[in-house]
Amino acid sequence: MIENEFNRRDFLKVLGWSGAAVAVSGCGFTSVQDGAETVVSYVEANEYMVPGIGVYFNSTCAQCDAGCGISGKVREGRVLKLEGNAASSINRGRLCGLGQAGVQAHYNPDRVTEPRTGKGEKLDWEKALGQVKEKLTGVSGDEIAFLTGNLSGHLKVLLGNYMDALGSKNHYVYDAVAPAVVRAANKKAYGSEMPALRLDKAKVIVSFGADFLGSWVSPVNFSQQYAQFRKGVNNGGRGVLVQIEPKMTLTGANADRWIPANPGTEGVLALGLINALGAAGVSVPSDIAASVSAYGVDRVSKETGVSAEQIQKLATVLKERSPSLVIAGGGAEGYAHGSQNAAAVALLNQVLGNVGKTVEAPSVVPFPQLAPTAGGTTGLKAFNDGLAAGKFKVVFTLGANPVYSAPAFMKLSDNLKKASFKVALTDAIDETAAQADLVLPLDSAMESWGSLVAEYQADDAQIGIQQPLMERLYDNTRSAGDILLSLVKQQKADDYKAFEDYYAYLRGAVVQAKGALGGAGMDDDEFWNTVLSNGIVKTGNASSSLRASAAAVALPAAVAADSAFPLRLLPYVQPSFRDGRHANLPWLQESPDPLTTIVWDSWVEMHPRTAAKLGVVEGDIVEVASKSGSIKAQAYIFPGIHPDAVSVPFGNGHTTLGRYANGVGANVFQMLDPVFDQETGELAINETHVKISKVGQRVIVIKDEGAAGGSQAGKKIAGRVASNKIDLSKEV
Amino acid sequence: MRHILRLSILLIGLFASSASFSADTLPPVNTADDLGPQVDQPIEFPHNRHAKDMGINCMYCHTYARRAPVAGIPPLQKCMGCHNGIESVKDKPRIKELFKHWEEKKPIAWKKVHDLPDYVRFNHERHVKRFIVQQDKPVQEVCGYCHGDVKEGTVARRQKPLSMGWCVSCHEKAHPTDKTAQATAQGPNDCWQCHK
Repeated sequence: MIENEFNRRDFLKVLGWSGAAVAVSGCGFTSVQDGAETVVSYVEANEYMVPGIGVYFNSTCAQCDAGCGISGKVREGRVLKLEGNAASSINRGRLCGLGQAGVQAHYNPDRVTEPRTGKGEKLDWEKALGQVKEKLTGVSGDEIAFLTGNLSGHLKVLLGNYMDALGSKNHYVYDAVAPAVVRAANKKAYGSEMPALRLDKAKVIVSFGADFLGSWVSPVNFSQQYAQFRKGVNNGGRGVLVQIEPKMTLTGANADRWIPANPGTEGVLALGLINALGAAGVSVPSDIAASVSAYGVDRVSKETGVSAEQIQKLATVLKERSPSLVIAGGGAEGYAHGSQNAAAVALLNQVLGNVGKTVEAPSVVPFPQLAPTAGGTTGLKAFNDGLAAGKFKVVFTLGANPVYSAPAFMKLSDNLKKASFKVALTDAIDETAAQADLVLPLDSAMESWGSLVAEYQADDAQIGIQQPLMERLYDNTRSAGDILLSLVKQQKADDYKAFEDYYAYLRGAVVQAKGALGGAGMDDDEFWNTVLSNGIVKTGNASSSLRASAAAVALPAAVAADSAFPLRLLPYVQPSFRDGRHANLPWLQESPDPLTTIVWDSWVEMHPRTAAKLGVVEGDIVEVASKSGSIKAQAYIFPGIHPDAVSVPFGNGHTTLGRYANGVGANVFQMLDPVFDQETGELAINETHVKISKVGQRVIVIKDEGAAGGSQAGKKIAGRVASNKIDLSKEV
Repeated sequence: MRHILRLSILLIGLFASSASFSADTLPPVNTADDLGPQVDQPIEFPHNRHAKDMGINCMYCHTYARRAPVAGIPPLQKCMGCHNGIESVKDKPRIKELFKHWEEKKPIAWKKVHDLPDYVRFNHERHVKRFIVQQDKPVQEVCGYCHGDVKEGTVARRQKPLSMGWCVSCHEKAHPTDKTAQATAQGPNDCWQCHK
């Protein structure tokens, strides 16, 4: 009986095979479609425009504050790809991944496209700006506050004028991951907040937690200098890089020696090195020598956890390979004594005689009014204090998302409610815009006019010009410049009536200064077209100089650990996320972190020994709790971190930033403890102590690398040598 | 045993039938003319008036063909360049429509009639250079290899199959390398020339 023998399983098999047969035989022919798609011709075409062939326009990257020049490929009116602008002295034709993703910020489907009220009702611009004017009537200047990210160029001037017109002095500049403490220490030691660092001239670089290849200040510029340094172009041989940081960064991974000194002891190590250098015959001013005499090798070794032998070797390398360069970065400054740490590192530079050799006077644009305002967390604190005291009635935010990135202890979200009218100038509904009473949608950087002066300019000072690479995607977005111009016109119509829009304002200002900008003898149009064609204006350098004022540094005694919170939290500034404003760009979520290769998530990085002690394996969901808050994330076991610390990256854990960011990972800003640098008042981001507990869940960590440690499939591709077996002196 | 035998006969039968069914639907390589369907365009453009009666070179309007992968549809500006000065046809309905688009600065949404699948890259520039520039062949003949005898038609309509087999049938032929040379060469036959 066939029914009995031909059962369900066989039937399914037959069905499967016949399906496969149809699928196989169906391949190989797709018909040409006639009349299914439209092809729209231009009404008027520019002569340089050829369909199918890209045209490049120069502009300036707005993804971070480094101010790299970009060159955008535009085809059929759409920007497709960004490259670095070769004429820019900052990035010399190169561009990082974060910069590349600028295209995605432009095409992001979650952009705000129309002005809207807090309830989500759409408005036209006239009504939206009318609301601002109405809410400002009868409000005194003291009751108005404007919080921005770092600003420079003509936008900064315009905002200054607006605040003056309102009679307000409450412009706060906020950058959640700024090198603010190092700036202050540099200012004291060298007379310049950001001197030019000549990595390429140094024979050895000792970096105290500055991730200059990944996320610190101007990574594209530093990467190119680093290549020169390694090739030995200007320093007569391959340079040696030593990175001192308790959490390995991209720079640490590239270093010849990565030394995980105990977190916070960078200053002790720097003073110990000065002492050791003095003992080795390097001339140290007597008052400095006296002040570091207490930092003998044994004591330093005990406090920092770096072996005495290693310290001696470091001192030898620094002595024999001159000029050297010592840099203090995020890893050294995020403590209550961060200023002293940074000062100790600067002192080491001075003792080594590097000032004037590898630490040079920066290039400065000779227009102080355009210079960048470099903010830190003190700006946020002042803004928050004002809110908490109920001082502000009308607040504006631009280029800052404090509701996301302010630590929970500040209670900023609650304090913000005390302001009766909150205006957010933003390109996406981030956490701050979600609380706003009025959202003003911004053009993307590919759509707007602007000018940018970078904080770090090693040579050849320049102003970056931002020009639209294509028409607006949405009719109802406006550039920050246009919005500010409209707002300032509400107050002082007569002063600005000559400027129809921000483009006219910017063009007018640049053309007016053409004599000083190398355009003497050109007519206005010719000069302006040259500026746009170059994407940058070389300004020539204002005179600037460094002084080396070596002063003794006193470090505080180490604070005993709190046994309830035994581990130190070292938040990690990821090269592509920085303070989290780019978490809505899928290219960046998709790009593996350079060290862990993890994508689309946050993680808790811990040393194998620490993990073993806690009984944690990779993929365990753990709760990281501080006195101020807690997060949950997957554990990742990594030997590149100090055993007494755990690390969680900044940037993820958004709730309203759009489909690619919401619900991805955890927000580590929220759980930071209220500890501040004692000199500058900046938030000490490495001073949070935590405890770890397992939640009882386990996930597969989504990452690009293979099994932990890498088996190399038995092929012995890279040899393994224990770190204590390597002789650093051979690299001298 | 019988079970396996029956099952396999059934399998072979089903496989053969479905395979032969789909083999029937696969068209043989066809190099003959294959007239595409009539496509309604926003303006019924008379190619015959322009290419035959007026004798205008194809590349006067499709000017990008020699410079880019795509031939391009001429910008409205180009139409107006001539029609602004041709009083005799100004009140014809199609020309009125043209003027309306121009005055409103509204582009015309033409329908594509030569629309290759997205995984095929055809480069106009390469073909124009090979046949018109190097071999000095008449423009209308060269364009006609793929577009048919455009000067005899009105609204553009696909004339050739534009299938892969049809492309290859020409790439297999030996073509002289220039107008005087005896040497010949074939078009490229590697997959990635078109499938990049």
